[in-house]
Formats: sequence, C-alpha cells, structure tokens
Amino acid sequence: MINDLFRYVIMGHKGLDKIIALQKNPANIRNLCILAHVDHGKTTLADCLVASNGIISSRLAGKLRYLDSREDEQLRGITMKSSAISLHYAFGEYEYLLNLIDSPGHVDFSSEVSTAVRLCDGAIVIVDAVEGVCPQTQAVLRQAWLENIRPVLVLNKMDRLISELKLTSLEAFTHLQKILEQVNAVTGALFTSKVLEERAEKEDHAGETPGADQVYDWSAGLEETDDSHLYFSPDQGNVVFASAIDGWGFSIQQFARIYSQKMGIREEVLCKTLWGDFFLNAKAKKIMKGAQAKGKKPLFVQLVLDNIWTLYDAVVTRRDKEKVEKMMTSLGVKVMARDSRHSDPKVLLSAICSQWLPISQAVLSMVCEKLPSPLDISTERVERLMSVGARQFDSLPERTQELKNAFVQCSSEAEAPVIVFVSKMFAVDAKALPQNKQRPLTHEELAERREQARQRHADRMAANQQAQSSAGPAHYVVSLPAGGEGDPIQMESLAAVKEPEVEEVAKDTFVAFARVYSGVVRRGQKVFILGPKYDPAQGLNMLPEGCMASDSVPEVPHLTCCTLDSLYLLMGRELEELDEVPSGNVLGIGGLEDFVLKSATISTSPACPPFIPLNFEATPIVRVAIEPKHPSEMPKLVRGMRLLNQADPCAEVLIQETGEHRCLDDLRQRFAKIEITASKPIIPFRETVVRPPKLDMVNEELGRQHKTAIIHQVKEEAPQSRFSDTLHVDPGGLVTITTPNRLATVGVCALPLPTEVTCLLEASSELVRTLEQVNMSLREGRSLTVSPRTLEDIAHLKARLAALLQGHKWKNAVEHIWAFGPRRYGPNILLNSVEGYQRPSVWQCLDPAEKGAEPCAAALRDLDNSIVSGFQLATLSGPMCEEPLMGVCFSVERWDLQQTRAAAAATPEEEAGPGQVTRHWAGAGSAGCYGPVSGQLIAVMKEACRHAFQARPQRLMAAMYTCEIMATAEVLGRVYGVLGKREGRVLHEEMKEGTDMFLISAVLPVAESFGFADEIRKRTSGLASPQLVFSHWEVIASDPYWVPTTEEEYLHFGEKADSANQALKYMNAVRRRKGLYVEEKTVEHAEKQRTLSKNK
Amino acid sequence: MSIFTPTNQIRLTNVAVVRMKRGGQRFEIACYKNKVVSWRSGAEKDLDEVLQTHSVFVNVSKGQVAKKDDLSKSFGTEDLTEVCKQILAKGELQVSDKERHGQLETMFRDIATIVAEKCVNPETKRPYTVSMIERAMKDIHYSVKANKSTKQQALEVIKQLKKSMEIQRAHMRLRLVLPAKEGKKLKERLKPFLKVVESEDFDEQLEMVCLVDPGCFREIDELIRCETKGRGSLEVLNLKDVEEGDEKLE
Repeated sequence: MINDLFRYVIMGHKGLDKIIALQKNPANIRNLCILAHVDHGKTTLADCLVASNGIISSRLAGKLRYLDSREDEQLRGITMKSSAISLHYAFGEYEYLLNLIDSPGHVDFSSEVSTAVRLCDGAIVIVDAVEGVCPQTQAVLRQAWLENIRPVLVLNKMDRLISELKLTSLEAFTHLQKILEQVNAVTGALFTSKVLEERAEKEDHAGETPGADQVYDWSAGLEETDDSHLYFSPDQGNVVFASAIDGWGFSIQQFARIYSQKMGIREEVLCKTLWGDFFLNAKAKKIMKGAQAKGKKPLFVQLVLDNIWTLYDAVVTRRDKEKVEKMMTSLGVKVMARDSRHSDPKVLLSAICSQWLPISQAVLSMVCEKLPSPLDISTERVERLMSVGARQFDSLPERTQELKNAFVQCSSEAEAPVIVFVSKMFAVDAKALPQNKQRPLTHEELAERREQARQRHADRMAANQQAQSSAGPAHYVVSLPAGGEGDPIQMESLAAVKEPEVEEVAKDTFVAFARVYSGVVRRGQKVFILGPKYDPAQGLNMLPEGCMASDSVPEVPHLTCCTLDSLYLLMGRELEELDEVPSGNVLGIGGLEDFVLKSATISTSPACPPFIPLNFEATPIVRVAIEPKHPSEMPKLVRGMRLLNQADPCAEVLIQETGEHRCLDDLRQRFAKIEITASKPIIPFRETVVRPPKLDMVNEELGRQHKTAIIHQVKEEAPQSRFSDTLHVDPGGLVTITTPNRLATVGVCALPLPTEVTCLLEASSELVRTLEQVNMSLREGRSLTVSPRTLEDIAHLKARLAALLQGHKWKNAVEHIWAFGPRRYGPNILLNSVEGYQRPSVWQCLDPAEKGAEPCAAALRDLDNSIVSGFQLATLSGPMCEEPLMGVCFSVERWDLQQTRAAAAATPEEEAGPGQVTRHWAGAGSAGCYGPVSGQLIAVMKEACRHAFQARPQRLMAAMYTCEIMATAEVLGRVYGVLGKREGRVLHEEMKEGTDMFLISAVLPVAESFGFADEIRKRTSGLASPQLVFSHWEVIASDPYWVPTTEEEYLHFGEKADSANQALKYMNAVRRRKGLYVEEKTVEHAEKQRTLSKNK
Repeated sequence: MSIFTPTNQIRLTNVAVVRMKRGGQRFEIACYKNKVVSWRSGAEKDLDEVLQTHSVFVNVSKGQVAKKDDLSKSFGTEDLTEVCKQILAKGELQVSDKERHGQLETMFRDIATIVAEKCVNPETKRPYTVSMIERAMKDIHYSVKANKSTKQQALEVIKQLKKSMEIQRAHMRLRLVLPAKEGKKLKERLKPFLKVVESEDFDEQLEMVCLVDPGCFREIDELIRCETKGRGSLEVLNLKDVEEGDEKLE
C-alpha cells in the first residue's frame, strides 16, 4: 500500500533537474550520514528531513519511516540496511544538495554503518535526551573518529523529558548538560588515546630520550594538542535540541537571533551566553555569570526551555484553548482549523511546533554550516584512504601521489581522473529499477484498467457463487459472517496467492553504493575496477604509459575493466537514472555485480590505489553450518550464498573440507529461496595418550595404595575382532598381533610425544608433506629436484626434532622415524625399533650418497608400505571416538614374517626380535582365503596400533579458541561469569591506555563456544564483544574412562562417580553423532520406570 | 479350576523374562525391563539393577521356581546368582521397544556415517555431511534391518540415494605397474573399471595412475595378479579422492 502511494508522490522531473544542477557544484554538497544507538530516532529524523523536500507529507513524517524500505524493516520497526537519499535545501542565498544516508543502529548491522561512514564527509550523531550515551553511540563516535569525519550532535526526544520524565525546565537543563558531558567524554577518550598513541610512536622514533625527560613529558602531551574544536557545545553551533516525532528542533543561534531583536543584546553575546552558567539580571539588564551559585535561573532555561515547557503545558497537559490562541498569535503561527479541532493534542502541538521551530531547518542549516563539503576533504584523510595495508603514503608510486591533488580539488573537469569508491553492493528488486518501472498511468489507461478489473471481479464472483453452492451448507454458514465485506477479503487472499509467484520471477540485481571522489562519471564510460588487493606500483609497471580502460589491457592481478552501464540517483527506495555524476556525490551504479564482490575502487587511472578496507566494528562471529533440506537443492544454495556474500559486507562464506557450507545467516530466504537447515557446527577433537598419572583424583599418590575395587574396573573386554585369538598385550604396553593366515606378526607400543614435538610437527606440516613427496619419488627411482632452501629447512627440522627428543627413551629416535601420520604429514610418528631391520630413513633426501645402499628386497618393500598404510589408518581415526590422533608415537618393536613356499623371496634378515619363536605355518600362499598379505598386514597393523593406544592412559584433546574481549569495568564481572560457565580460562587482562576499557584474553574450548558471543553480549547488554580465533589443541585433563579405584576416590566420588566427566561428555557426544556405540544404559534406574499396564 | 477374573489375574507388566533351554528343560529368570541389553553390552555392571530376584524359575508368570536338582543337573552348580548370570548372557529374550529403538537408531546413524565417509558430491568432489545423508535416507524411507551389517546396508543405501540426489562413491586412486608384455592386453581388459586415467607412462613397463570405483578393487587386483602371474603390482595411493581444505566462496 505504502509503496503504491509513493509512486505518485515521488518528485517530479523539476526536482530531479534541480538536483542534477546542484550536483555540479561540489562546494554546496554535503555528504552526511545519520548515526546513533538503536531507537534513538535516526529514521524519524530522516523522515522529517525528507518531508522538508516535499517527498512525503509532513503529517506523515516520523510515522512512515520512508527510508526503511524493506518489508521486515517496517515490520520490526528497526533499520537494517543503510539507504541514501538526495535532498535539496536552500540556506541563505545558496542552495545545497544533501546526500543523506540513514544507517541502522543495531549492533548486528554495524557493518552497514561502516559502509555508510566511508562515503560521507560528516555525520549527524543522535543521542536520546532521556537515555543518554549508549554502547552503540560510543561505537559510532569511534567509527566517525576512525574515518576522520566530522560529527554534529542532535539531542533528540526532548519531548520525553517533558511528558514522560516530567522534569522541570531547570532539571532538564542539568540533565542535558550531563548528557553533553558524557558525549564529550567519549570524544575526549578517543582523542586521548590517539594522542597517547602518537606519542608512543614518537618516542619509539626518538629512541634515546633521557629517562627523566620522559617522566616529565607524558603529561604534557595532552595539553599541547588543541582539542577544543572536537567537542560538542551548543555555543559552537554543532548541537541541535530536537524532538523529531513532534517535528521541532532548534539551535542556540536561532534563539539568539530572536532575542537579540527583542532585548537589544548583541547576537554574538547571546550565542556565547545562552548555554552555560549565565543568568539575566533584569534590573541591570545585564547577563551575569554564576547562575548556579546564586540560585538563579540560567539563561537557557529562562529564555528557551521555559517557552517550550509552557507550550507543552498549554497544549498537551491543560488543553487551554485560549492560552494556546494567545501563544500562537505571539509566535506568529497559523494553524489550520482542522488541526486545532483535532481531538489528539499532539496533532495541534506538532502543527504549531513545526512552524515555530521546524526541525529540518535547524538540522539542515547546522549541517550546511558545520559539516565540510567534499572540497574540504583533508589531505590527512586522503592519505589515510590511499595508503593500503600499513604502507606509508610516501612509498606509493609518484603517479599515485599525484592523484592526491585530484582528490583534494575534487574537480569535475572532464580531464580529471575519475575516482569512485564502492563501499557495498545492495540488492534491488529488478522491478524497482527505473528502466523497468512503469510510468504513472494516464487517465485513459486508468479507466481501461478499471474496466478490466471490474470484469475480472465479476467473473470471479460468478465462479465463487458456483463454488459455494456446490460446497454445501456447512461452507455457506462459515462465509456468511463476512457479509458484504466478503468480496474484498477474498480478493486480497487471491492477490496474496499471486504475489509469491511474481517475486519468484523478479530477479534481484545488485547496485553498487558508491561515491565519486574526483572527475565525472558518465554512463557508458570505460573504467578500471581495482580490487582491494591491487597494487598500483605493479599495475603501472605492467600497463603501458597512458593506458586507458578502453584499450585492450594485459592481465593485471586484481584489475578488471568494465563499462558503467547505468548510474542512479538514490532516492530512498526509488532510483532515478542519471547520465553523469560529477565529483563529490553519492550514487548507485548498476551492472557491476560481476566485477565487484563487496567493495572496490573504480578509476580511469591505473595509478589509483585501492582504498583502505572498511573498519568493521564487529568481525563475523556467529558461524553456522548451513545445508539445504533437500540435498538435490545444493546448487541453488551455493548460488544463494554467493549472492548473500555480495550483499552483506560482513558475511563470509566458507566451504569446508567436510562439505559444510558456513555463513552468517541473514537473508537466506531472499537469495536462495529454498528450505535450509542451519545445524550446529561440528566440533573437532583429537585423541592422544599421556604418561600414566602419578596422582589419583584426590591428589593421593598412586602405586603404593591398595586398589580396592579392581573388579569394578572392567578392563578391556574381549575384542570382537577376528584378531582376538592372536592378540597379546603385555604389561609394558607392547601389543603383538598375528595376521589371520599366521604369516606375519607385529609388535607395537604407543608412547606420548613431548608437546613441543607435536607443536613442531603441526607447524611444519607443509614441510613434512614435501619431504614425503621427495621420498616417494626417490623410492620409485625418480629424482625430484628439490631447492636447496627446502633441503636446508628439512635439515633444520631434523635438527630441532633431535634436540627436542632427548633422553634414554628417544635414543636415536629421529634417525629411525619411519613415517608421519595421518595423511603422511600429521603430528604422529611411526618409529622403527625393529632390530636388524634396515630401511631407508625418511631423511634420505638429505644424504643422496646413501641412496644406493638399500638392503631390502623388493618383496619387503611392498609390505613396508602396508605397515605405513596401517599406521596411517590408525592415526586417522582413534579408538575413542574415531577422531584423528595427535602427538602419539607408535614404535614397531617386532615384525616377523614367515617364509612361505609360495612367496619364495628370501627375507632372512627380518627375523628379528629376541626370544621369538617362528612358527612355520606352511599353509596357503600369499593370497589365501584372507586376501593378499599386504591387505592383511594393513589391518593387523591398524589393529595393533589401536590396541597399543588403548593400553595407555587415553585423553581427548579439545580445540581451543583464544578469545579477546573488550569490556568496560562495570561488566567485567559478568564477562568472567560467562567465561567460567563455559570452561574458559582467563590468561590476562589489562586496561587499555587512555580509556576505561579492559582487554581480556582467555582461552575457550571450541565445543563450548557455540552461542558464546551471543550470551556474552546479552549478559553485558552489548558492552563487551568477544572475538574468537582458533589457537591450539589442548589436552583435556580428565580421563574419559575414569572410574574411582582407590579408597580415597570412593570416599570422595562415590561408587558410580556421578560427577560430570567433561571428557566423557564430549566423547559420548561425538560417538552418538557418528552412530558409534555409546556405553549408556537405556534406563538409569530399573525401579524407577513407569509401569505400563499390559492391557494398554 | 481357575477362573480368570481381573482380580486373580496376575500380570507381569514390568518384568522382562529371559528364557533358556538347557538339558531339555526350560529355565526363566525375571529381570527389569530395558536392562538386559545394557547388561549384555557391559554398560550396566550392577546385577541387582538387572535382576528382579536372584531366583531361577521354570515359569515366571506362574511363579514356579526351578528345582535345585534340575539346576545342578543342567548348570553344574547350585549357586543361583551364577545360574542367573549364565541365563542372562545366553538366554533369549524379547527385546523391548525402547531397546530396539535405540539399537536401530544407532545403526541408522552408523549407516549414515559410513555413507558420508564413502561418498562425495560428484560436482564439487566434496563429501556430504552426515546430517544431510540422514535426512536423505529419511526422505527415501529407508528402513534399517537389524540383522544385516551396517556396511552392507550402507552400500545398499548409496545405490538407492543415487536416484534422488547427486551422490557418488569417492574414487580410489591406484597406481598400476604392469609388465610391458601383458600391458597392452591387460589395459583393454581393465578399461571398463577405470573411471579416470590421470597419467600413463609406457616405457619398460606400463605405469598408470587412475581413479577407480572402490567396489571393483578386488576385481582389478584379481585380474592383475592372475594375468601377470605376480609380476604386475597394484598400489593404493589414496583411499578417497576428495577436495581438501577450506575454500572461500567468491
């Protein structure tokens, strides 16, 4: 409905022409955005400003929320996407063009704020006069500060002070003062931290300043730097007091002008004294200082607030008709009879106020006066924008540096290089594009359509009648109460049915939200599109001198050419087509979706550097695994994800190794249009072994104690595998198994690797992988050329491993490493401890001379591979919950092969191992009923590794996040609470210099991180937000298989050890997910079951 | 003569009876419901939580206790607890619906896990998630058979799923080394098994790296061994050919 309304209210061509004319004069352009905490009235204020241009009726202003064009925005009453509108405003003798961007205030959409702020030169920061400074207010102030744009302040919702809080004008004054102080405190904190930072840098550079000086110095830094221009103060004219809902607003200057005429005091003096501790001495006709001390009414209260208070009192509270009449005449306000007779006093109030103190005028004149035009862009900001990736501006190529002038001049000359920055892509319904939009209909057409509709209606009625009569009496009764209104309802439902179909057809197109920094953008122009990683120096080298985008261009990374298809003027939900856009303006560009992913820089000069990436207040935290409900709809999902990625600057889509599609879910319905389930992310674990513990769970020494209840520890139930008959585990942890055809026996024991070794292997997995490749090729007799650098690295790795694997146990271990696993490059080691078995070491590539001396026969070489394969399989999925192993060393102690008649290959040298009995089992050949020996050996080796692993104390390893939390002092306790609840551990906390924020770093198991960010934000009301980054694997201390064994443990834990065992909990969760057997009783207590009667 | 009226009719509503025939005689014990399977799997270790009473019956519902003579004749011991344990371990029982449900659910998961492990999406070469396979299995109304192995059923499921979604068994990467003489002949015979031949090197001997369906590994192995009389060799390079690593969607 509302949408249709606008089709006709939309500004005519005259307005458009005017805007196009105004666009050419950058001095009179203001690019600004509205920033505030959620529900402080950004969109309402924007409505008032839009109404001042006649785009919407001023009566609807504040209720319509014109810039909230999406359906869900209107429904939920919050802004989600930033949207822009161009307004025209005449101030003094000049006419201004205002490109206004409304931004969302909710934390979850802070990415939208970042994109909006980037395109602007100034910002209107709104603060609720009741609520004061809120977390998001701080955030937006910080963002404005980081982007180096100038803010002005609007204290909104002044009416609430009167009508809700029922403050007197004097109380309101002190309240306002306090809020202003709060805002300035935030700005001050930003300023101080910057100054301190700069000082720290300076000191770093200076280096050798004497210590005594520094102590004296540090306090001086702040005072030296002038910061007075930063603060908000009504007498500087950068504060407006307003009530957007009632349509009024004023700055001190307005009142100063009024009273200077009335009282004959100079306007400048009034400007200075109207805000602050001044009062009017009526007798002396002088303005004096110290109102508070003398108990007098301050000037602001007496001259400004009191008037407003009386007006509210008269109109809203007492409804004194006569007094209102009197006031109206004294103010020179005329109100339409309809408004004054209205039963709701608010209507009358806003009618009076909007004429007396129109908000749009107050805000817009402040904007025009105080905010910089595109011409005033500071060189500092330009340099910051252009210096990508911590590169100093000076280090950019010369031609790039020249572009800075173009920036600063912001000229719209034809020869000026075009520089455009695209900050985001937003989806627009193709129907809304001007070329597809229907023109307003002429009268004849309207009449014709009406006739058609009537005809259709009549048909439908007839059809309905028939349907109803055939449906029988019951149906008839139901439809009766609708009575005369029945028809429209049916019509509506019919329309509703049709709508989704239409939507299905209409495709979303993407429009780039951009700003011209220099030159003139024309439709059909050929331009370069520079990706965020483009390097101008590289580009300039590769492109010929004076190359234009229209020429054929060689391939340059991150640089593409394209033609600008269509340019749009952004008018809220409407787009107006333009032919050209001069510099300094905000615009929409269509047809870029294939070239621009999220943000990009567009230029005609390849020398242009890409702009620095946007500052995001929040990084993507919430991760969800998404999969389609119907597997066959996978391609649709992928397409939808791609679109979402483009549309939401904060979404990151990853396809994981496991085939999960992850993303920040926001608008899935819109882009993919299929049913999706978002599942819990799968949490990875690792399995490892540890040294046998010396202490038991109640910190008593083990070993000497008498194990009272060994019977309860059901140890190693007979494995059901087919190797059970030959399995033998000795107390030292050595496991020996023989293959089913009794041909081969392996003996394996598992050892924990030192943590440092695990870390080293983990870190150098790439290197190990190349090492394996080299070995593989060497084994086949081919030689792979390896760079000396890699060889050096490998030698270094070997040396470090040798250094870490010290001690009796690891004697010569490094030389005997057989393989790494899983996947040949993991953090587990297979060790060759078979006596007399010589095999080429994994380090053979280091020593090419040794290559010739291979003692092994070819037959053995194959089986060697089987052992390795078995090891790989075992390390890939451990016995606890089929997760990969980590930090385990399997040492092959024994490996006997029986001679067979069929495989006559002589392998006498591997008859090793002391005291081993060779059973000559002259049965089947190498391939009996059990399959080939190599295959059997793989299985046996795997089984042996698993049992060796189980013979040791097993532990789970959990993935850990490091978690950085910024929080204020008040919520620190609650942050600790949430961390504690989720098994997190705080590493350290420190106070950030110059602010009251604390920086806490903690570690948190990934398993507990689901919903963590959400919870912490909820608990701290948004004052703390964590950032999680995967850091390392950590052994979970508790033993998943633990049951109390000693006397003390019984006393402490009871027989069943009911207290929660975290490792067991994780293990069972994984096992259940994978469909493995979980040792769990179907019912816990036999007697506590519900008795069901058999008859039922 | 007993008349069955509701008052003198004793119904064992909460008793699970485990029966065993030994020496031509039937023995029964009275257990709690839903507990016997837990005892057999080792999850329940407390015998008192399983047995209603430590006595052996001939007929539980009639309350007829077995005679001591019969017990010692059949079991060789008079220790009731010992006999109960034997009957618990080997007797037959009616599996309760809760237990059966739990068992089938585990099997269902297990099958889905096996399928997810073995299969990939042929377009992306990436595996499906277990939950997606589970959903697909529900969609085709696959019913788990309790008496068939999960692996066997998984292979069956893959066949059925192929009709409704894009799914394929992940290929195995093999290296075949064949002597030159038989090489050519053998290659022709191997052709139908090989899905993709990645590299082919023919000098003294034919060396091929190829992707095959894991289902026909045995046949290939057999073929090569028989034809070359042990001179050709076959090496598994990779059990599963899947894309690895995260890919950022752009």
